[in-house]
This record gives sequence, structure tokens and C-alpha cells, in this order.
Amino acid sequence: MRIETTEGGARAFRGTGAFLWTEVLVQAHEELAMATAMVTQTVLLVFVYILNPALIGVALVGSVLFSSFTLGQRVLNEAAYIRIDHKANDLYLAGPMSPEGYFLGMAAGVLVVYLPPVALLGTLAVVVAHLSVGTSLTLIALASVVWLFAASIGYIFSTFFRDNRAIWAYASLFFNVFGVLPPVFYPFGFFPTYLQPVALLMPPSAAAALLQTRIGAAALSTGQVWVALLGLAGETTFVFLFAVYWAHRTVRGT
Amino acid sequence: MSAEPLWSENLRKVYPVKGGLPVEALAGVSMNVRPGERVALLGRNGAGKTTFLRIASTLLRPTSGSIRVFGYDVDKSPEKARPYIAVVPQEGKPFFHLSPREQVYTYLRARGLSRETAHSRTEEALTRMGLTEVADRLAITLSGGQRQRTMVATVIATEAPLLFLDEPTIGMDPFARREVWSSLRNLTVKGSTILLTTHYLDEAEALSHRLYIVERGRVIVSGTADDLKRSVGGTVKVSLPNSPGRAELFRSFGEVVTDGDGITVIVTPERLGEVMDLTAKSHLTPSVGPVSLEEAFLRVVGRKIDED
Repeated sequence: MRIETTEGGARAFRGTGAFLWTEVLVQAHEELAMATAMVTQTVLLVFVYILNPALIGVALVGSVLFSSFTLGQRVLNEAAYIRIDHKANDLYLAGPMSPEGYFLGMAAGVLVVYLPPVALLGTLAVVVAHLSVGTSLTLIALASVVWLFAASIGYIFSTFFRDNRAIWAYASLFFNVFGVLPPVFYPFGFFPTYLQPVALLMPPSAAAALLQTRIGAAALSTGQVWVALLGLAGETTFVFLFAVYWAHRTVRGT
Repeated sequence: MSAEPLWSENLRKVYPVKGGLPVEALAGVSMNVRPGERVALLGRNGAGKTTFLRIASTLLRPTSGSIRVFGYDVDKSPEKARPYIAVVPQEGKPFFHLSPREQVYTYLRARGLSRETAHSRTEEALTRMGLTEVADRLAITLSGGQRQRTMVATVIATEAPLLFLDEPTIGMDPFARREVWSSLRNLTVKGSTILLTTHYLDEAEALSHRLYIVERGRVIVSGTADDLKRSVGGTVKVSLPNSPGRAELFRSFGEVVTDGDGITVIVTPERLGEVMDLTAKSHLTPSVGPVSLEEAFLRVVGRKIDED
């Protein structure tokens, strides 16, 4: 019997790389989706440039963070679609692949495919906003944290949908509201003072506020910096760990 | 890996219904599948086949009862059972934006197979399923039957010790179905064990060593296809034109079924001669043939429905 299978339990994150590659192949065939992924950012950048060209650097930095955040919507759409339409989760998860490998592989695959346009915006941000090496690395680190938060939220949300039509209505709502309304594309100081603590607790605007402080477009107090940093780290860790738990929990229906 | 591939005892599944009465999908299913067997799970729509398959393949929690895969408790330790299984889900589809070759290969890699093994098994499975000509076309451009063949190729290429196939040949043409049957037979020769559901009774008969018929969440018959046929009173059917009193005339030989303008008498081969004598005396022209599994299935399930 030519059986090649691992004795005993599945390893943590088993299959992540292979499913990442699967997702890259799947998504790479949808060139139009890659192009449309940049529409909102481009439109907002044009608005900012027309209204106040001096803010284009801030807006470009924000567009990188917004792009990372909206990758969560892609993960939501993809996870729900292949579960509802293709039953691919049954195919993959009733086997040696780990549930967290399935989730993280999908999230990372989406990231890899959409990285080139995000990198283009990042390059423009570096050039236009004159970002130092340190600030550029901070941008990459914060964009990665925002991606992990959004991908985890997207995967968790995807498990609540039973019908793809409902996703069209609700998925973009969350990601656009929390990515566009708070001060991501515009300076933190423009946001109403009484709502600023809320903005510091939302990952995309918290990351934007930290970066704006580094480039001198915002002036967070030390306390606000800590709130943003701890909020980002705590929320992302919590949501990621919950997504791993939830990936396990939702393999089996009840 | 010494225990039985699949064993269940008194397995129950009750689905809660919001604002309504709970639905009992499985009402105490006990079964065992031995190494190298191909076993078919038959039943009407909603009988509980897919529910059983989903529980056995670790995708659904049972309400009560026990179920083990190679000795591992599926409910308590699903992660221990999963390396031994592979599933063709009901209505599952390959990724539309992958080719069959990419679909099979990446799936095998996700299961942890080496590049070389994944590659060779991919090519073998595509050849067996007659997909080589379309192996590099995106699945979105394939016919429904070709997509289903891709799903089956994906799963048989795993050569997993225990395969669950939920209506694996749905939408396939008769040639493709036979390719699947041949591949599944080949897999069990190599040592895999297969549990499948199907609504094609000819498929169940041609493919399975044993079958279980499930009705309203209970196993009502289990055994070989011949056992099932014998359970309806005979393996030979004699069809005759109907007329008043004719059903009564033949009832002493076996079960008589009235069907429109005709009657069918189900008899054992030993009593066939007596029936033929009587038809000759009555100047009737009978047609004689074997009882099909479908006819036996309809009788057995129909009888159960009548009892209930």
C-alpha cells in the first residue's frame, strides 16, 4: 500500500506554505481583481491631491496601511467563497492539513498576490514623503501588523456567512468604514478630539497616527503613542490567536 | 494502523432548528468497514447518508454514540484521524482558477506529500481519470463532468487509507463513471478502504463489497447486493400483463408487485419452473430477468416507509 501520510496528529501550521502557493495560483489568474483592489486608494489619493497637495505624502502612507487593511476583505471573500461555493474547506480540512495552516496560507497567499501594487504605493510614499530608512521599515512593520489583524478578522467573519450575496452587502462595509473614515488618509489632528482615543484603538488609524508622528504630520503625546502601540499589539495578537482557535473550532459543524 | 478503518455504534445526530422541532438525522447508526472494503451507503434524499459521512470524516460532531477511524475516536481526537482520510465532498468543486494538474498537485502538497510523489501521483490520477487532454486548462472552462473527475482525481491521488466519497460520479458520463470504478477498485487492491454514497444503484452493485441502506437515520438493511435482493423474496422477476385476479393467482410463489398494466412476480430460482408452468397453462407470455438492486432497494425502502 503506497500510503504517505503522517502518523499521529497534525502539526501546527502544517500545510501553510502549500496552501499559500495554491492561493497565489488561484488569485494570480484574476488580474482584474488585482487592478480593482487599488481603485479606492487611487480615488482618495486624487481627492487629497486636488484638495490639498501638501497632504499627499500623508495620504500615500495611509494608502499603504489602507491597502493592508482591505486585504482582510479579500480574505473574507475568498474564505467564504471557497467554503460556500466549492466546499474546498471540507476537501482540505478533512485531511492532514491543519486548520490554522489553511487560514494562514490563504491570508498569506492573498498578501503575496496583492503585494506588488501595495509595494508600488509604498515606494511612492517613500519618495514623495521623503521617508527615512527607519520610517520605511516602520511602515512595513505596521502595514504587516494591520494585514495580520485584518486577515484574522476577515477569516473569522467569513465563517458567519452562509450565502455569498450577503457578503457583497456587508464585507466592504466594515473594511471601508474603518479604513476610510478614521484618520488614515488625512492627519490625525483633523479628527474630532473626542473621537481621537477611538481612532487610536483602531489598527489602521493607530498605525497611521504612529507613522504621521514619525514624519511630523501629527503630534501624539507619549501616552497616545503607548495607547496606539499597545492597542495594535494587543488587538492583533488577540484577534490572530482567536482566528487560529476559530479555524479549529469551525472545521466541524455542530 | 491496525484497528478497523471505520467503526460506529449507535451514532446519533440531532440538528437543532430555530423556532422548530429538532431534526433527528441519525437515529443510532452502527456499522463497521473492514480493511480494503468498498462499502456503499444508500438511501433516499435526506436519509442521513451525508450526515454520517460528514461525522466520519471529522467535519461534523455527533450528538451521541461512538465512531472511530483506525481506532481513533473521531469526536474526541479528530486531528488523529485526519491524516488517514480523504474526502470528496458532496457538490464539491475544484478551484475554478486552477487547472486540474495544479489542483491535484497543490492538494497533495498541502497534505504533506513530497514534490516527486505529488508529481507522479498527479500525472497518474489525471491519466486514470481521462483528464490529460484538459490537464492545463482552467477548471472554469471544463464541463461539469470534467470538474467532478478533477475532484475525484484529487482525492484518489492521495491514496489515503480511508476515502469518503459523497456521490463521486454525479454528472459523469457512463465511460467516466467506469473509469472511476476502476480507479477505486485499484485503490482498494493497494490497501485503501472506501465508503461512498451514491444514488446510482448500478454503481453500488458494481463497486461495493457490501452496502448499508439508511432510511430516516437508521440502517434498515446491510449486506451484499445479493443479500439485499434475497431479502425481497427472490432474485428473479417474472413480468406479466395484468388482469383481474392475476396478482392473486401468482401470490403464492412470491411477492407480487402491480405496476400499471403489468404485474411483477419476484421468485427464487427454485420456484421459477412452477411459475413458468402456470404462465404456460394460462397462455401468458412472461418476460424473465434478474431482480435489479434498484428494484430491491425500492421494495425494501418502500416497505419501511409503509411500516412507519
